[in-house]
Amino acid sequence: MRRSRGERVFTACNAVFLTGVVVLTLYPFVNIVARSLSAEHAIRTGQVNLRPLGFNLTTYRVVLSDSVFWTDYGNTVLYTAVSTAVSMVLTVCYAYVLSRRDVKGRGVLVGVAVFTMFFTGGLIPNYVLVSALGLRNSVWAIALPNAINVFNLLVMKSFFESLPVELQEAAAVDGLGTYGMLVRIVLPLSKAMVATMVLFYAVAFWNSWFPAFLYLDRAELFPVTIYLRNLIAGATAGTDQNAASDTALQIAANIQAVTIVLTVLPIMLVYPFIQRYFVRGLMLGAVKG
Amino acid sequence: MDQLSRRQLLAGAGAAAAAMALAACGQDDEGKTDDLSGNRDGAMASYGAGEQFRATTALSFPIMLLSSASYPYKADWLFWSELTKRTNVTLEPVVVPGSDYNQKRSVMISGGAAPLIIPKTYHPDEEAYIAGGAILPVSDYTELMPNFKQQISTWNLKNDLDAYRQADGKFYLLPGLHEDVWLDYSIAVRTDVLQQLGLQIPQTYDELATVLRAMKTAHPDIYPMTDRWNNPTPGGNLLGNLSAAYGTLAGWDYQNATWDPTAGKFVFTGSMAPFKAMLQYLNTLITDKLLDPETFTQQDDAARQKFASGKAFVMSCNAQTLVNELRKDIAKIPGATVVKIPRLTGPLGNVKQATSRLENGVLISRKAKDSKNFVAMLQFIDWLYYSDAGKLFAKWGIEGTTYTGNLDSGIKLAPDVNWGGLNPTGTKNLQVDYGFFNGVFAYGGSTKYLNSQFTTEERKFQEVMNARKTLPLPPAHPLNADEREQATLWETALKDHVTQQSLKFILGQRPFTDWDTYTNELKGKNMTQYIDLVNKAYERFKKSNG
Repeated sequence: MRRSRGERVFTACNAVFLTGVVVLTLYPFVNIVARSLSAEHAIRTGQVNLRPLGFNLTTYRVVLSDSVFWTDYGNTVLYTAVSTAVSMVLTVCYAYVLSRRDVKGRGVLVGVAVFTMFFTGGLIPNYVLVSALGLRNSVWAIALPNAINVFNLLVMKSFFESLPVELQEAAAVDGLGTYGMLVRIVLPLSKAMVATMVLFYAVAFWNSWFPAFLYLDRAELFPVTIYLRNLIAGATAGTDQNAASDTALQIAANIQAVTIVLTVLPIMLVYPFIQRYFVRGLMLGAVKG
Repeated sequence: MDQLSRRQLLAGAGAAAAAMALAACGQDDEGKTDDLSGNRDGAMASYGAGEQFRATTALSFPIMLLSSASYPYKADWLFWSELTKRTNVTLEPVVVPGSDYNQKRSVMISGGAAPLIIPKTYHPDEEAYIAGGAILPVSDYTELMPNFKQQISTWNLKNDLDAYRQADGKFYLLPGLHEDVWLDYSIAVRTDVLQQLGLQIPQTYDELATVLRAMKTAHPDIYPMTDRWNNPTPGGNLLGNLSAAYGTLAGWDYQNATWDPTAGKFVFTGSMAPFKAMLQYLNTLITDKLLDPETFTQQDDAARQKFASGKAFVMSCNAQTLVNELRKDIAKIPGATVVKIPRLTGPLGNVKQATSRLENGVLISRKAKDSKNFVAMLQFIDWLYYSDAGKLFAKWGIEGTTYTGNLDSGIKLAPDVNWGGLNPTGTKNLQVDYGFFNGVFAYGGSTKYLNSQFTTEERKFQEVMNARKTLPLPPAHPLNADEREQATLWETALKDHVTQQSLKFILGQRPFTDWDTYTNELKGKNMTQYIDLVNKAYERFKKSNG
């Protein structure tokens, strides 16, 4: 298939433009990785660009050799897994109900959800509530209060609504109940959206530190985000008379970069596994269209 | 008229508060309030200053614990087990990351979930919690804290403490107490350059000018002195130190009202004669090209680079930046040496400025008052935070295990223990591995106690500084609510104008013949009304307080 001249020019421009976008996107990240591997002096004087200067692993060594770091990392994995599972179950159930046109009082249910987008109880009432429910110092304090993200809920609802009603009607004729329809018809057709939502929730819980900070009082329960946040604060405060060693100065110089790498890496590794659902979902829409 | 306007209500409330403050300031019978016979479980029947506290039954108290990034909380620290062994008290920490300690403290106190003991609180943070009623007015119970009371009286801290009192005449924070004013910031001088030129370390600001002149003659192409720390106030440290020597307030220490002991009243800082003299001194340094004109505007790093590359020989420092930054920065210059010199003196002579000798401290939840162990808890806090034995334990640990010696002969860390570079060969860290020298428990104290943590070099600096006479604090002049509101409106405009115009005078952009015009500009910004307000408050406090 020969392509016209115009097409070739367009493809070339496209390639240049997209490469530019890739460079713009990757550049800060490569810079962060380079900083995380550089020596204090090079960072302080602003010489580090794309390559590490004065290769130095001190900060990584200090962070990774701390048993507290690994305990907290384990906590983060646990909290993310539990919270994402809880969130997905609740959000899917809620969204499915909202998407069914035959459900009476749908408007009220939507209103209840949307209301919470604009009005919240506030920090201290929330704290009192969570305390009174006895959730403090457990994973539920992190998983339950933020289980349903209303934005995600509405996206999911619209997606379910876009599925042809006839499919569900056919399933009903073949004898499937409400849950059967959800599990065997609707969800298998919504893999791309479910994958997206899992990613949204997982990333949010992975990065979140505030609920954990607020509701957890015991050090062995902290997620890694709190550990790293504290480390950054300690390193950047720099008023600690005692932290006068070279190690402390090195840590102060690139703790932020190291932190970014350490927290972003695992969640980045998840993407390739979820990506195939995105591709498939895209094609699903194309064929139907 | 049936209804009071909001303004009237406010005025009434202000007046009532002021009246209460006045009434309360008069009373001096602190610590003789309620009947505490139901709150004495576990308490020692007779506990006095200098005595070892030990609960008569095993007790435990919840405490909010700031977990520092440099030495994160560990449950197996020797500190915890030894504390229980000595006092029969177990602390149950609610661990809070140091990065956001204040926020969690606020939420827990407001949510009614705060532990009984809430340390690491800086004045005036506690004022936000007082109206909610969750915090105990601890001044009512100082009778139960003999060490605290003794230090207040022997170190003469009554005036310092008065500044922490609220409108009800009570204080809610148990502050850390210092025997003496501790000054750290001063200026660093390249001693090798002094030696080359046959100069002595300057002791006064006049001598500094002489030294800078000699340096300028030998190195005509540079400004011998540059400076850093221009945030949030330009020349923060330089002007701060200089103003102390001149008997005024500037830089980091700037306040609109300065106490004039000879006149017996407050005067406006930015227009007083010593302030002008100080600006003239700096102006001379600038005109003679001895002081870098970028001193007041440049970033810290720019100043450091000039010092590092030998383009300046004198600049501000503290103990930490001397070792961590300046010494490392000049390492590339062969033979370069730098020291932190004792603060230079000026027209006021060999004196040390007046600053508060209180620092962060402990809040106690009001619900602790209902505990049957309330008395024991206060005795415990008194022992740990204020007794010599408790303080020594919190800072240096256990004699024979983590250290040897004593405060008189000098503390020596055990061979395998290090802290702050005092024993570089030690493999274990006093804070990280043992939990001692924790900022939550170890601070304040006597000069001897403070000196025990310094290197020999820093101790020498402190010895010189401590030999100077400390000036008294300016008298208390608490404003009432209305006055406070009014003063705030005036203060910022006045301060901004003083800061801006000071720099112009120093840099020679405004001649000193303009001084009267400048004073009139300040009058236009309500300088006179402001000072009258402050003096009125001072007179009122003096009258009611004797």
